[in-house]
Amino acid sequence: MTRRILISMAACAATLVAQADKKAAAPAAAGADNSFFLRNVTVHPVTGPEIAGGAVLVKDGKIAEVGAKLVAPKGVKVVEGKGLHVWPGMINSATQLGLQEISSIRETVDTGEIGTFNPQLRPLIAVNPESEHLPVTRANGITSAMTMPASGGGGGSRSAGTSPLIPGHVSLMHLDGWTWEEMEIKRNAALMIQFPTIETRTFNFMEFTAGRTAFTEAKRFYDRRVKELNDYFDQARNYQKAKAVARPDFRIDLAFEAMLPVLDGKLPVIIPAPDERTIKGAIEFIEKQKLKGILANIGRAGTTLELIKAKNIPVIIGESTDLPEQEDDAYDKNYARAADLHKAGIKFAFGTFDTQFARNLPFQAGIAAGYGLPPAEAVKAVTINAAEIWGIAGEYGSIEKGKWADLILTDGDLLEHKTSVKQMWIKGRAVSLENKHTKMYEKYLARP
Amino acid sequence: MRGLVTFVFALTPILAQAPPPVVAIRNARIVTVSGPAIAKGTVVVRNGLITEVGENVAAPADAWVVDGEGLTVYPGLVDAMGSIGIPEAAPAAAGGFGGGGGGRNAAGALPAPNQAGLPARGPEDRPLTSTWVRAADLVRANERRVEALRNSGFTSAVSFPTGGIFTGQGAVINLAGENGSRMVLDNSAGQFVTLARGGFTAFPGSLMGTLAYIRQVFLDADHYRKAKELYAKAPQGLERPAYDRALEGVLESKRFLMPAVRGYEIDRMIRFAKEMGVPTMFYGLHEGYKAAPLLAKSGSTALVSLKWPEGARDRDPDDVDSMKDLELRENAPSTPAALAKAGVKFALYSDGSESVSRNIRRAIQKGLSTDDALRALTLTPAEIYGVADRIGSIEKGKIANLVVVKGDLFAERPQIQHVFVDGVRYDPPPPAAAAKPEVTQ
Amino acid sequence: MRFVSNLRNVSYSFALALAAAATLGAQVIVIQNANILPVTKPGFKGSVVIENGKIKEMGEKVVVPAGAQVIEANGQYLMPGIIDCHSHIAADAINEGSVSVSSMVGIEDVLNPTDISIYRGLAGGVTSSNILHGSANAIGGKCTLIKMRWGKSASEMVFEGAKPSIKFALGENPKRRGSAGSGPLQGSPGSLRYPATRMGVEDVIRQAFNDAKIYQAKWQEYNAKTAKGEVAIPPRRDLKLEPLVEVLESKRFVHAHSYRADEILMLLRVADDYGFKIRTLQHVLEGYKVAKEIAAHGAGASTFSDWWAYKVEAFDAIPYNAAILTKKGVLTSINSDSADVTRRLNTEAAKAVKYGGLTETEALALITINPAKQLAVDNRVGSIEVGKDADLVLYDKHPLSSYAVAQKVFVDGSMYFDRMKDIEERGKKELVKKQMIDRSKEQERLQQKKMGPPPAGARRPA
Repeated sequence: MTRRILISMAACAATLVAQADKKAAAPAAAGADNSFFLRNVTVHPVTGPEIAGGAVLVKDGKIAEVGAKLVAPKGVKVVEGKGLHVWPGMINSATQLGLQEISSIRETVDTGEIGTFNPQLRPLIAVNPESEHLPVTRANGITSAMTMPASGGGGGSRSAGTSPLIPGHVSLMHLDGWTWEEMEIKRNAALMIQFPTIETRTFNFMEFTAGRTAFTEAKRFYDRRVKELNDYFDQARNYQKAKAVARPDFRIDLAFEAMLPVLDGKLPVIIPAPDERTIKGAIEFIEKQKLKGILANIGRAGTTLELIKAKNIPVIIGESTDLPEQEDDAYDKNYARAADLHKAGIKFAFGTFDTQFARNLPFQAGIAAGYGLPPAEAVKAVTINAAEIWGIAGEYGSIEKGKWADLILTDGDLLEHKTSVKQMWIKGRAVSLENKHTKMYEKYLARP
Repeated sequence: MRGLVTFVFALTPILAQAPPPVVAIRNARIVTVSGPAIAKGTVVVRNGLITEVGENVAAPADAWVVDGEGLTVYPGLVDAMGSIGIPEAAPAAAGGFGGGGGGRNAAGALPAPNQAGLPARGPEDRPLTSTWVRAADLVRANERRVEALRNSGFTSAVSFPTGGIFTGQGAVINLAGENGSRMVLDNSAGQFVTLARGGFTAFPGSLMGTLAYIRQVFLDADHYRKAKELYAKAPQGLERPAYDRALEGVLESKRFLMPAVRGYEIDRMIRFAKEMGVPTMFYGLHEGYKAAPLLAKSGSTALVSLKWPEGARDRDPDDVDSMKDLELRENAPSTPAALAKAGVKFALYSDGSESVSRNIRRAIQKGLSTDDALRALTLTPAEIYGVADRIGSIEKGKIANLVVVKGDLFAERPQIQHVFVDGVRYDPPPPAAAAKPEVTQ
Repeated sequence: MRFVSNLRNVSYSFALALAAAATLGAQVIVIQNANILPVTKPGFKGSVVIENGKIKEMGEKVVVPAGAQVIEANGQYLMPGIIDCHSHIAADAINEGSVSVSSMVGIEDVLNPTDISIYRGLAGGVTSSNILHGSANAIGGKCTLIKMRWGKSASEMVFEGAKPSIKFALGENPKRRGSAGSGPLQGSPGSLRYPATRMGVEDVIRQAFNDAKIYQAKWQEYNAKTAKGEVAIPPRRDLKLEPLVEVLESKRFVHAHSYRADEILMLLRVADDYGFKIRTLQHVLEGYKVAKEIAAHGAGASTFSDWWAYKVEAFDAIPYNAAILTKKGVLTSINSDSADVTRRLNTEAAKAVKYGGLTETEALALITINPAKQLAVDNRVGSIEVGKDADLVLYDKHPLSSYAVAQKVFVDGSMYFDRMKDIEERGKKELVKKQMIDRSKEQERLQQKKMGPPPAGARRPA
């Protein structure tokens, strides 16, 4: 099946667009057609006001023009967008896409390496471009994603062994490509740090009972882990100095080597910080080591929102549809989390922090909008904010002249559950929305 | 453990005074519990029994006389539930006899009789059941907790075997005696039931399973009884019912003790007991302050643990307890007052608490009258277990279990002068030594 | 109910206070100017009159009875209370995992009416929940349908008159303990439990029903004897087999956890052989592959919206499942199986519009009238109709919208959730809690003075 989509001329109806798209099953190939003119569409640039009856001209994969009164240049194929909406492709800021196929089957999981410090690990090179999750996620309008390692060892995330402090880098990738190289946006998008937490609640699986360990003991362990982490950074700085001296017997160390851009503040660290104490600890650590930081999953932020704002640290929200952590929490505490951050003036993006539900990113944002987040901000948190946090806003995250044409065409509001994605382009190339689920649907719907 | 027991054994004879044949405590305030207090009177003890009590009672000529000026004589306290006197029967790991409501496993439980070593496959293996075991056969005079409890004014206790779901038959015992047998007042005080589980792999593996199992055992016992009766009437032509010691133990039990802590658990267990149709007493009951009307309406008998719930020690300062837990901790000591007000028959038990008298005072601070507190520690438990004809009050003819206190029993630091068990005097050690926790674990 | 001025007296659970705030069922309530979505009839803008906990009248114009409490909906959306056909909240135990046939156990014995998940579910518009036993065994325990009457006792929460049911489970979960390879039991082959395969799962179910038939016959024999006046020892009552006899006699529904098409078909055939019906297939993730067979048997299907890939048997799960099943004539519902997801079943249903193009009414039916029918309580709940229970949810936007937030939830005509009130009372709740914490600290301080400080590193259960 040719992957070229001859998107028909002006007469082509939106439904036809969708049908034509289903035939394009294979990833984009080099030299594929990456110029078109999308017209009569409601354009949602995200960084500017929406344009009703607008048009987008894409040339060589990049957005050449956006506006209300554009005319199709000669020789460029025209895509009719009547009744439809065009948005920047969504960015899921936390997933394990490509690293994990069936979460309960260790052999299909490549998220958790053994060892406490693994800064040299790069998820992108382990991404399986043929993972069923990629087209499934794409079908809901997500064009790119951050993919990340996890704690664990033994491949999965639930095996025994001490949890790592640095499980590796996180990668940023397009959800389409013949190889992971073609998918790459940023191989090393940030260094992940599993900042220690004080854990006094325990669970005995044999007896199925909850318990508690003494705080003194847990705190001692925590202090030791924090020191271990700081020591590692100190060692990395020593390495940096030794490297600068460049003595003939200097030996390259892959792990420390991977730390250098972080030490220089060129590459951010991303730190999940589930509670007030961890947030404070993480921020203190970021300051002390003079790092560029991103926080993630700040469930019980308590009074630290002001601090986060004061330090201008962006946040990846994953918990917004989770249950409140404590019985006495307001029932909508996490639903309203994004609104809280918005009110505090903190920059944030959404991530799903998993694989099977990576496609539900827009719903996560939509529900947050129901609970007080202005809908326009919710859209930003799955597009431009993510691009800014990951340092790719010059090329992605909005429909603006000069950016890559990562675009999706929908029949309605981006964040509504009912909305269908009708067409997707990554770097201006039409990408298939067909996936295992649509195939099984068609196959079995047709079962006599 | 063995070493410790020996150590205590060695101490006991030193503290126990040799019994004079007759004792008279005169000019003392006498709180009889069964009747009005006597402001100034005399109690005469002979052959281990109370032979005289009253204002105008003369000390017999052969009596060893205790001058009771400034002293108050109370009936000896009764610890209404526990495993006192049974060696190696320390309370189960998580919460002792507090009721637990089903959270814990049966560590150290007796193996299922048919499946030793293998997980129980179902009720047919009679898991965690030893209804036939009798506390009366297990009590030892030198058990380490006996003396400690006696030193805090207790002269009797109701003890049950531990481990399992149906743990065995309880006994009312006096907290002193030449040997275990001499301590026993009643050898069938009731069947102790817990909501223990068999662990992950053995039936019952959940609270649901445990309740279903208890239900099945009662049905089986009922069936066993009927089958035996039918068979006894006309054995010819009928299948002979197989002897079942587990069910025999159930049928021999006068009453069953079942746990419940939270209000909704009390509600649950009241309904469960009603369905089982057996005489039941409930124990634990820390949230009884919420369920007092329910307990009253169902005519339930309540055994309230004096081990009030506390926050975990050395806990994370950032770890905030739920309101449910905070409320329970704050209000649990108001349970006895609530039960008294609702007219529920209740007794108190020490539950291995490190500070029984302080915990009683907390209940009093929460509105329990000292009269009600005393009754719940003396006559009521005696009545509940059907031994009120012998202990629980200061009356002529009853067993001479007495506690003699300088001042008031419920004072900040009660100064217990003498404890009489079966008429034998035991004096607690001087306060310096007693400053240690009353019951060590 | 109002807060007593002395906050000390209000230290009780606030959720209870809210429940007490519920308007009394005996009162007459009129919800007016609502966009009413009855589900079984076309939507309209109008009013609903509630009396004695039931819907007394509904229409574009209604006569407001004297003394009625009027709730102005201002165009908000009123739909039937959501029914979650698969939930594990409100119970102190879920799995009796020790044995492969655990039909002797039941959720009703262990209901916990104080589980905060009930309130959270209510706040998401759920008014009834089918509390199922877990899936650790081929034949699991008895299940209980509850109404979300937050603040009431366990027995008051039980959906009165609902037909009893039992959980079955097929596939990976019931066979898991046949392997010593994973989980907390790793390396303890002594605890291996039959079955280890789907073949064995079928065998366990068939064997159990064979036993049930023998048991049934024993009782029939005994009853016949005693009817003739003969002396006989009655059979021993067997709590494990009694529910299975009830299944054989169509007195108890079967809700069967299932994933793969093969096992679904297997169970339908076992049921056919023994002459009973599977009431619902739960999860039924590959139901779309055998929709025809499911429809022919007459089983309902209760599925997830879009869960997949978390285990091998979920790898062919597709979010179009509900749509295909519906289109092929299977009575279908969408459930949560989760204290989390139960809070937004409205948008879970909306996914069936996206995946497979169900109409909005069909989508709403997945979480209202369809589960009501599956649980045989559709004469009481599941739609807004005169005479039915006033179990209702008022949403600020169309319930299938991502942005919809439940504002008021009624069960039996009583308001058990009011978002406005919940928000208003948060400050007071925090204050009361703070005071409780302070008193608790003071108590601990007094105690430590008496007892001395705790030894460092002391371990103690909470």
